[in-house]
Amino acid sequence: MDNATGWAIAAAAVGTLLLRVFPLIWMRHHLQQKSDVNAVENIPAWLSVLGPTMIAALLGVSLVPGHINASTVCATVVGSVATLLVWRWQKSLGWPIFSGVVVYGLVVYLGAYFL
Amino acid sequence: MRAHAFWKGVRDAVPLLGGYIPVGMSFGLIAVQAGFNVWIAVVMSLVIYAGASQFLFVAMLTSGAPLWLVIVMTLLINARHVVYGPNIAPWLTSSRWWPWMMHGLTDQIFALAHVRLPQMPEQERLGWFAGAALLAWISWIAGTAFGGIAGAELTQRWPMLESVLPFALPAMFLVLLTPRFTSRLWAVTLITTMLVAAILALAGIKNSAIPLGALCGALLFYVLKSTTRFEEVKYG
Repeated sequence: MDNATGWAIAAAAVGTLLLRVFPLIWMRHHLQQKSDVNAVENIPAWLSVLGPTMIAALLGVSLVPGHINASTVCATVVGSVATLLVWRWQKSLGWPIFSGVVVYGLVVYLGAYFL
Repeated sequence: MRAHAFWKGVRDAVPLLGGYIPVGMSFGLIAVQAGFNVWIAVVMSLVIYAGASQFLFVAMLTSGAPLWLVIVMTLLINARHVVYGPNIAPWLTSSRWWPWMMHGLTDQIFALAHVRLPQMPEQERLGWFAGAALLAWISWIAGTAFGGIAGAELTQRWPMLESVLPFALPAMFLVLLTPRFTSRLWAVTLITTMLVAAILALAGIKNSAIPLGALCGALLFYVLKSTTRFEEVKYG
């Protein structure tokens, strides 16, 4: 690795850390100025809307298969339904995800033969 | 920091392994194929720790792009992280460790923390976050190392693993998002956000799809909220 690449990695690392840390420090300062008791109510309304929409956008992007074909699209739909059904039953985190991945894998596996 | 809270965090983050290890392996493999040493790829995963931007970093350097542009593009892709910290700030304690913990605040850890932190007692939050973030970080670094050392052989022997395990990520987001469908207003907002982000990703602008999709969703939320029709109906 030459020096320039090393500096580029260091700059990207420090920059990324600052992008993660500074907004938190700003918000903690903002909350301390307002009140310590009702912190949740004191976060700006737009920010509390942006949180769930960020998660929804992450879901939308991650649902797009890396290699799009009939098998992966079908597996995505069936795997998502399986995840939701197990979540309705268990209301937990681990089992619904595990079941979704297993069902997704099965559909991809079967799809390789039948589709 | 409480040990049981730490292990609870580790347990909650286990599903992330399905996404982090295969994608980390892909990164290690691609970095080595692009001419980087394995240990440089591992150092990148250790200190930058942001998936999409690491792939871009390697691709741009390999194509001979100027270093300043590589850094700017890396930071632009990671700019979406600016909303994560403030969103979980109300549930963080006064510990001085929190700013340092933010190195582990990836997309997935944010989604997990945004749902889990409000559900647990204040004294458990730091330990929980440390456990979840540490497992995710280690799995990303280990995945990179595996990929760099033996990625080509592993993906040749078990090609299905690379395509199947990453489904753990959308499955996790689905589980975290479903309880948010508390009213018609939120249902329309979240479904539209997902569709916009998916369409943008399909159009090939995967990195911008997350912030753009989220912004569209937030705008839609306020437009719908201003019409009384959407304020009334609430689900169970």
